[in-house]
Amino acid sequence: MITLRNVSKTYPPNVHSLLDVSLDIAPGEFVSIVGQSGAGKTTLAKLLIAEERPTRGTIELGGWDITRIRHREIPMLRRQIGIVFQDFKLLPKKTVHENVAFALEVAGEPWRRIREIVPQVLKIVGLEEKAARYPMQLSGGEQQRVVIARSLVHRPKILLADEPTGNLDTLNTQEIIDLLRKINEFGTTIVLVTHNREVVNGLRRRVVTIADGRIVSDERHGKYKIT
Amino acid sequence: MSLIVTSLRLIKAAFQNFGRNAWLAIATIVVLVLALASVNLLVGVNVLLVNATRLLEDKVDVTIFFKRDARPELVTQAKFFLSELPQVAMADMFTAEESLEKFKEQHAGDERVLAALNELDENPLGATIRVKARNPSDYPFIMETLKNPQFSDAIESKTYDDHAEAIANVQRIGERARAIGFSLIVVFAVIAVLIVFNAIRVAIYTQREEIGIMRLVGAGSTYVRAPFVFQGIILAAFALAITAGLIALALPSIEASLRTLYGGSAGLHAFFTSSWPQFLAIEGGGLALLVAVTSWIAAGKYIKR
Repeated sequence: MITLRNVSKTYPPNVHSLLDVSLDIAPGEFVSIVGQSGAGKTTLAKLLIAEERPTRGTIELGGWDITRIRHREIPMLRRQIGIVFQDFKLLPKKTVHENVAFALEVAGEPWRRIREIVPQVLKIVGLEEKAARYPMQLSGGEQQRVVIARSLVHRPKILLADEPTGNLDTLNTQEIIDLLRKINEFGTTIVLVTHNREVVNGLRRRVVTIADGRIVSDERHGKYKIT
Repeated sequence: MSLIVTSLRLIKAAFQNFGRNAWLAIATIVVLVLALASVNLLVGVNVLLVNATRLLEDKVDVTIFFKRDARPELVTQAKFFLSELPQVAMADMFTAEESLEKFKEQHAGDERVLAALNELDENPLGATIRVKARNPSDYPFIMETLKNPQFSDAIESKTYDDHAEAIANVQRIGERARAIGFSLIVVFAVIAVLIVFNAIRVAIYTQREEIGIMRLVGAGSTYVRAPFVFQGIILAAFALAITAGLIALALPSIEASLRTLYGGSAGLHAFFTSSWPQFLAIEGGGLALLVAVTSWIAAGKYIKR
């Protein structure tokens, strides 16, 4: 599903964010990428959504080599990956319904299909009653659930969550992780970038640990080991 | 996806954005109205300046005095000759008798002049032709044509000989006024363009994060930019309508206040009412094009990848 081969990313003048990273993630896996701040986790996430280009190496997603993806192909890629961010990235002047619908509109989905899908995904995340609200009128946990709903509209094969619980309390964190687990059970590959020890240890799934831009451990049923 | 559906979505998004960012929209419209109003104000001032100059130029004319023994047929011939010249706007002929009557009218209150006239047995004045040129710069040419021996021998004098310097001055003032007026309009138009450019840039800058989010959820470059372009055009339309309304409201009172100064219509109302379609096309089209291009560029600045 996701293949990274000898990927390095260097920022000017000579800051190595990732060094010779190789990684294979199979379809349906739930992988946690962990590491300290500055370890290179977010750079890895940015490479997967083509927000950055690797300095060296190749990246493939579902058989698509996105290493040298063209600018106009990026929207196509992002419609195939569900993306969840720590800071939610919701459009503040759009309602919950409109935020979710927007991801479908940009892909050119017809009105009829949008009217059909949006309530479905809002129901999955438990926000069908709050469809007319604006992001500012929701709690952090609810906003993150909107983001997850938005990421699900294209029925993505991969869902990338970059610190999705970073701004949430324990209760909301657990809700979001349960939601991600549920999505994974339907067959979606989940890549969770986090530094939340409890979350990683509670999942008991594959854990890839990054330190100083290198993969230092990759365990099938791993634990959070960074001190 | 059909182009119609996409266009409808983009237009809907533009209107939504306009409505939900009402304060930003109002602030931008105010800036656009001020920019448009300043250009129109200067256009108005230029019209007044040009009309005032024209009024001054209209007051300039030259009178040709014929000798008393000049044959009436020759004077009539001279009148027709002058009327045929393309540089002449008007040539009025007065016979010796009419010239005398006119002279008496002009000096009706001057007893000594009238008494002196009565002392004379015969009319001391000859026929006259009053010539008004289309342009003050045409007078030297017109006077040159009268040096034709056919007429020159019958001509006693011309007022042009005394007023040549004053006419040249009027001509220079007119040309200078028109040039300064045009330059000021160009300068103000450039300033207005810069103001509009920055107002739109600031409006889009405040929404830069949203542009990034749109991009992250898979919106193509055009899909991100187009609503801003449409929104810019909506802002321009509002600004144009408000400016037109302000001009329409202010014109009658400005025109009325200038009536005394100009001794009639100042020509401001007539100018704006007769040329509003051109104004709408130039200012509306120019403004719409400017905000559309600015919006496209400004929004594109925040579309990195």
